[in-house]
Order: sequence, then structure tokens, then C-alpha cells
Amino acid sequence: MSDLRIINIEKQYPQTKQQKDPAFSLQPVALTIKEGEFFSLLGPSGCGKTTLLKLIAGLIPADNGEIWVGDDHLTAVAPEARRFAMVFQQSLLFPHMTVEDNVAFGLKMQKISKRERLADAQSMLEHVGLGGYGSRFPDELSGGQQQRVALARALVAKPRLLLMDEPFSALDPSLREEMRELLRSVQKEFHVTVLFVTHDREEAFYLSDRIGVMSEGRLLQIGKPKEIYEQPVNVEVASFLGLKNIIRGTVANNHFISNDQSFEFPIQSSIQTSQSVLIIRPETIRPVSENMVEILGCVYFKGVIHHKIFSHGYYSVKVRIGEHLLICNFTSQEAEKMNPEQPIDLMINSEDMRFVNG
Amino acid sequence: MWQKTRPYLLLLPAIGTIVLLFFGGLFDGLLKSLGYFPAIGETRFEMTAYTNLFQSSEFWESLILTIRVAALSSIFAAVLGAAIAVSLFMLKESSKSGASQVWHRLFQLPLTIPHLVGGYIIVLLFMQSGFLSKILASAGLIDEITDFPVLVNDPFGWGIILTYAWKEAPFVSLMIYPVLSRIHRSWRDVARVYGAGSWNFIREIVLPVMLPAWTIATFIVFVFTFSAFEVPFLLGVTYPSMLPVYSYQLYTSGTLADRPEALAVNIILAALTILLGLVVYYFSKRWNVLKGWD
Repeated sequence: MSDLRIINIEKQYPQTKQQKDPAFSLQPVALTIKEGEFFSLLGPSGCGKTTLLKLIAGLIPADNGEIWVGDDHLTAVAPEARRFAMVFQQSLLFPHMTVEDNVAFGLKMQKISKRERLADAQSMLEHVGLGGYGSRFPDELSGGQQQRVALARALVAKPRLLLMDEPFSALDPSLREEMRELLRSVQKEFHVTVLFVTHDREEAFYLSDRIGVMSEGRLLQIGKPKEIYEQPVNVEVASFLGLKNIIRGTVANNHFISNDQSFEFPIQSSIQTSQSVLIIRPETIRPVSENMVEILGCVYFKGVIHHKIFSHGYYSVKVRIGEHLLICNFTSQEAEKMNPEQPIDLMINSEDMRFVNG
Repeated sequence: MWQKTRPYLLLLPAIGTIVLLFFGGLFDGLLKSLGYFPAIGETRFEMTAYTNLFQSSEFWESLILTIRVAALSSIFAAVLGAAIAVSLFMLKESSKSGASQVWHRLFQLPLTIPHLVGGYIIVLLFMQSGFLSKILASAGLIDEITDFPVLVNDPFGWGIILTYAWKEAPFVSLMIYPVLSRIHRSWRDVARVYGAGSWNFIREIVLPVMLPAWTIATFIVFVFTFSAFEVPFLLGVTYPSMLPVYSYQLYTSGTLADRPEALAVNIILAALTILLGLVVYYFSKRWNVLKGWD
């Protein structure tokens, strides 16, 4: 198996005289990406995603740690000998070469005959929907088409690993969706291992088999998209994933009490006393109707509706409970008769509550 | 009407001067080379000066020497200039310090020195009793300074070639270097990831980028050395002499009868330069060197 193994790789940038803030450092990262897997590194700008990507590509030297692909130790191998491919934020096509020559560039470097490499390039251009564009120059293509060429250039060389550094961030939303679809299908077709860097949650969740969430040079959590969304390991991960219902409190005697005491309910004995932050996903909160029978294992709250906003086929309703504004996602049917300042009863299945360390 | 013609009227003095001095001079030279010389009573047009030139072995030897010296000077200056520009570019890419700026300025130094002074520097360095031969003799690498090869005032023109190579290489690098700055910093990363080492990067990316500017710079050097006078006059031999010197010798021979020939040499020089310009233009179009950049 040609899994990519990253063993405690780290990088410390030197402090410059001009900068007052401490220099950036990438804390040791340990990660294994399986052959054929689509792995995303998700995190805000400046968190070290691109640094990690460039360390793996060999474009910047690591201070410590090792990189392996299968049985090949690549830490000291030059980037040109790693047989990786990379797609950048910008297409970075060579303007003096035709589209075909750009795509065939990697094969030319591998000393594949001209006839063979041009045939491969044409076939790959067909795969990315640009058959017949081979003789054009990059400046004759749109931004989306240029990025398709960059993808074709990366795939045609049959890389052991495809590195992608926010490749769709410069495209407009509809093109991004189109490119996502394309990437997803070609990745499955060619069974290529992908390490994808993005700050776009939607993109990462749509494309990835697994996601690694990064912040300030640290890899905070690795897991399947559903896993990290439903079970974030800490407040940082939850916040970055867009979870806003974060309630601080204390856990004692199998009870959770929020700091403002507006939330108080019994919890499972397995939850440790140190885990004193409650995270509630907005879609797990349901309004309680008048005739509803109380369900065992559910926690009930009373609140007052603050306001409601329609968003992409559902209503985002903010409910005031004590000092907290709880965000709830309700269907149009559920939210139909809700109005600001109206009292509301809410319920949450206790299994949908997530407790993490404060 | 006034608004439309105003820019042309404003340009008239400059255009008038250029036309009068450049094209006027060239036209006067052409007329005189064709034998039209009212000062000595010649008002007919004839090709005698050209016929005489083409029949004279002195002219052909001069022409061969001129082409050889101009071609070798241009090639040496082009190679040296490109090497300087690429080295400076690679130095700038790899180092974040200001070292590349210092080197850049250092390589530009010869540009500030006049050709005549450059010629004297070559004389002082490379003549048999010059600096270099004395060093080699002191180091015991040659027995006598007369063992040092004749590089100045030699029939082959090495002294002239050395002067122009040294003097024009910074000019070539100065023409190429800004073009190289069009190379995106990340292209190096792209090329490396796709398997290109430094040499492949230079061959596949850097050379095609600089080719148009390089061709033009080399052509300018060729044209300049082809028709330059002072260095060949200083560092050349009396026979064979380069065409501009040959033209000067004819013009100042003491007899007005030689002047049409002297001016015919100049017209031939200008015609060859134009011809060469057309050839370069044809090839640059055919190689598609500018495609994709704009």
C-alpha cells in the first residue's frame, strides 16, 4: 500500500525584525493518508495549512519529522523526484506554452516521448471537459477553464499524491460547484490520493473522506466529516465548523449547570467533570408542540423567540434562554407561526449534546 | 481641424530634425555613392563606386572581417549577458538578502564606461606588454611576455571582440533582466513539483521568456558592432580593416574621387543592417516567441 505517512513533521519560521508578533511555527503533525483517500486540511487563513502542504511537497525544508509514501522515505528527496503533483490557488499555467504543452509538462520532464505525452494530454483534456482546446494558449481561456487545465496537468502525470492548495478559491460560486463535481468524479475515476487544503467548510465536507481541522499551526482533530461535525473535540473546532451554540458551565454530580444557571439538567454518568462546555448543533433542537408527550432521554428548555431569518429552505430562529441566544434550525412548517417575543418550549435529545473541555 | 492637426504640428520640429539629419544624411550619401557629386562636376548617376567595391578584394576582406567580428562579439556578449541575467535572477529567487542588488549594480558598471575607454582597458590588459602577460610571466606560466598571444591589433580582431563582449554583455543582461521578472515566483515551485530541476526550469521556462528580448538585444549589439568605428580604429590593424574604418580610410584618402566608394560602403552597411533586421523579424514571428504573453 502507498499510504502517505507524515511523522511529527514541524517547521519554525525565524522571527523577523519588522514583526512584533511571535514567528509562526507549525507544531509536530502526525498523519496517515490512505492510498486513494481524499483528505482535506481545513482551517482559517494563516493556520499553517499551506506550510504543511509545501513541507509535504518538499518545497520548504522541514525542521524535524519524516515523510513516507509506502516504503519510500521522502524527507530528503527533492520535490522534482517525489512524483507528486500540485494544483495552486491560481492556475499558474505557463503562458508561452499551449494548453496541450502545459498539460504534458510533467510527462516531458519524465522523458515520455512527444507522441505519447501529447496523446495522454489530449485524453486528459477530454476528461476535464476541454477536448479540442489543446492548441490554445492559456490567455485564451476563462479562469475556470485554466483551473481545469491545471487539474489535467496534475492528473496526467499519474502522481502518487495530488496536493491542492485552495484551488477553487479564486473562482465564482457557480464555477466552484462545477469544479467540485469535476474533482470528485476524476478523483474516484483515477483513484488518486488527494491532500486538499481549504478554508471553505462546505467544500471540505462535500469532497472529503476525512478532514483534519487546523488552527494556529496545530492539527486539532482528524475524522470523517460527520464525526468531526457531530463530535468536535474542543470549542475551537466547533467554532470553526460554524457551531455557535456554545454554553459554558460546570459538570458536577451528573448534572450540567450553565454559568448563568439558565441551563440545568441531568447528564450521563460517562461525562467527566472536566468537560464543562456544552455544544448544541442547531438542527438537533426541536420546538415542542402543545400535545406532544414527553420523550425519555430528551432535555427540555423554555425560551423566548428573539428573531427568525429565512435561509436556504429553512428558518434560522434565535431563542433567548437566560443570557444565551440559542440558534435553532426549524423547517418552514415549524417556524410558520413563530413570532419575536413569543415564548417557546424546546427539546434536544441528550445524545445530540456534545460536552468538551473548557 | 485645428484639434486634429495640432499634435502633428507639435511633433513637426522633432520629426523635421530626425528626417533632415538621419534620412537627409542617408539620402545625400546614397546620391554621392551613385556618383552624383556636383562639387566636382559629377551630375550623372552611375554604379561605378559599387562595381569597383565589389571587384576589390580589399572590400570583401573587410566585409568578412566585419561580419566575423560583429557576429563573434554579439554571440559572446549574448551568452555572457544571458548568463549574467539568469544568474542574477536565480540569485534573487534563492536569496532574500540584498546580495543580488549589489551584484546587479556591479555587472552594470561597464555600461557607464565609454567605448573608447573600454578599448584602452583591453589594450592595457591584453597587449603583449600588458598587465595580463606580465602577471603570467611573473607567475612563470609563460617564459617571455612575447609568448603571450597577440590579442590586440591582431588581424583576426580578438581585441575588438573582447572589448565588445565585455562592454555589451551588461547591456544584454540589462535588456533581459526586467523580462525575467515576468516569471511568476510560484512557477519555480510548479516546475519543481512536476519534475523540473534547475536546468530544465531554465530551458523550459526562463529561456523562452527571455528569447524575444535576447534576440533583439543581440541584434542591437550586432548592428552596433557592425557599424562601430572607434574601437576597430583603435584595436584593429591597417589591413584588413573593418568596413567603417575602411570607409573612413577611403573618405580621408586625400582624393575626392574615392568618396563615392566610401559612401557606398556606408550604404552597403545600412542595407545589410536593414536586411538583417528583416531576417530577425521573420524568425521571431515564425518562432511564435511572443505568443501567449500579451
